[in-house]
Amino acid sequence: MTEITRRNFTVLTGASLATLSTSLFAPAAFGQGKPRLVVVGGGPGGATVARYVAKDSAGAIDVTLIEPSKTFTTCFFSNLYVGGFRNLKSLTHNYDKVRKAGVKVVHAMAVSIDRNKKQVVYSGGGGVISYDRLVIAPGIDLKWDSVPGYSEAAAQIMPHAWKPGPQTELLVKKLNALKDGDLIVMVAPPNPYRCPPGPYERASMFAHVLTKKGHKKSKIIIVDPKPAFSKQAVFMDGWERHYPGMIEWQDPKIHGGIKGVDPKTGEVKTDLATYKAALVNVIPAQMAGKIARDAGLADASGFCAIDPENMKSKVDANIFVVGDSSIAGDMPKSAFAANSQAKVAAMTIRAELVKSRAFPARYSNTCWSLIAPDDDIKVGGNFEPGDGKIKAAPGFVSQKGESADIRRQNYKESVDWYSGIVADIFG
Amino acid sequence: MTGGQLTAAPAADIELGRYLSSECMTCHGAAKADSTIPNIIGLSEMHIAEVIKAYRAKALPNPVMQSIASRLNDEDIAALAAFFATAKK
Repeated sequence: MTEITRRNFTVLTGASLATLSTSLFAPAAFGQGKPRLVVVGGGPGGATVARYVAKDSAGAIDVTLIEPSKTFTTCFFSNLYVGGFRNLKSLTHNYDKVRKAGVKVVHAMAVSIDRNKKQVVYSGGGGVISYDRLVIAPGIDLKWDSVPGYSEAAAQIMPHAWKPGPQTELLVKKLNALKDGDLIVMVAPPNPYRCPPGPYERASMFAHVLTKKGHKKSKIIIVDPKPAFSKQAVFMDGWERHYPGMIEWQDPKIHGGIKGVDPKTGEVKTDLATYKAALVNVIPAQMAGKIARDAGLADASGFCAIDPENMKSKVDANIFVVGDSSIAGDMPKSAFAANSQAKVAAMTIRAELVKSRAFPARYSNTCWSLIAPDDDIKVGGNFEPGDGKIKAAPGFVSQKGESADIRRQNYKESVDWYSGIVADIFG
Repeated sequence: MTGGQLTAAPAADIELGRYLSSECMTCHGAAKADSTIPNIIGLSEMHIAEVIKAYRAKALPNPVMQSIASRLNDEDIAALAAFFATAKK
């Protein structure tokens, strides 16, 4: 590049100045000033996009992250809090380093999107912000009525704990109050939902806590609307080894259908039986966060269709949807997946806004699950665009009969992964 | 490898390396001394390339790394190695 000194800069003509401005900062096509990226949602998807675009564009793109909470407690690893392996503080992160990367963090609730004007309206301080590109990463909302009798109010008695924070604390409080001989019933969610192995890792953590307290007669029943679940063979093998007879998993062929719950009586009704439980954990069906649905980005499934090449909404080419709100083909709804999708989106956004190079999308995922202390299993693999979706390549999954050393190593790896991914998301 | 071969080799694509490295940083971003997931920032190009190729050949055991390495071609590995060798924390 030719060196530009103050002296020769001042003698450039207006025309050449315009060219220079375009080549150095490339914002000309987007009007005055820098091109602007707005990101809604500061979790694993949103915070990663914001930080990577800010970091890799070195100030050439104005990046604003809109997130209501000043701290973020991760849903991933919250089962380890349930099991007593972590405290919530160790799962809670702030946005200081996201700011340091050059992101303007606005602690407000994004309330609506005007796709024609390319604007986001937010509350809490109030305001409207225009965007050249928008990333939507609001995570999931719960379909309260997917389990008859369940509601937002009922969650105070029968916690879902599928969004971390007070709900997880309530679940743990109830778990720790159980007496030997008590019954826990978990109502597992239908596909697709956040963290496919999560309910079964949680049941493992329930069993671990009860076993550690010396319970001999307590039982955990999982009533599941699905005929199968993630890492099923290795979970069930682990349950038999560590907690024989304590966890009973019922698929629809066994329970015949989930009829509903009654928060007043603590009952869970299926075709097979009515259970009166001391702790009921209802994990309802899920859908994309409200703002994505209100903006018309979700289809009949409740989630948002995306272009597998770049995570762009199929509805609006100026909007990207990453993480749990998206329909990411074969990828599970996980923090690892959201973080991976965010990097493809960030790379594409920089290419579009400042003409950096674009590369073919590559995605990956690994999910670790703890069955018992030092007995951790994992599943994962690579994903790429194919057949009109994000398609899985052959992956890996833990096997029955693996050595204790491998499982111990998996656990330590998961703990180190947690440190790595939160550093990657939040700086 | 001789010096002559090194000179003749095409320059590694650092920008490709930067993009591919983002996948690595999901796990390697906070490596501590006793971590099972080692620091890879600032390691020599040759060392990084050798280790990734060993995972690709399944000569090293971790399935996560074997999976990540399985889709990296020699150009990708050279790009990653060049990026991490010059990257700073």
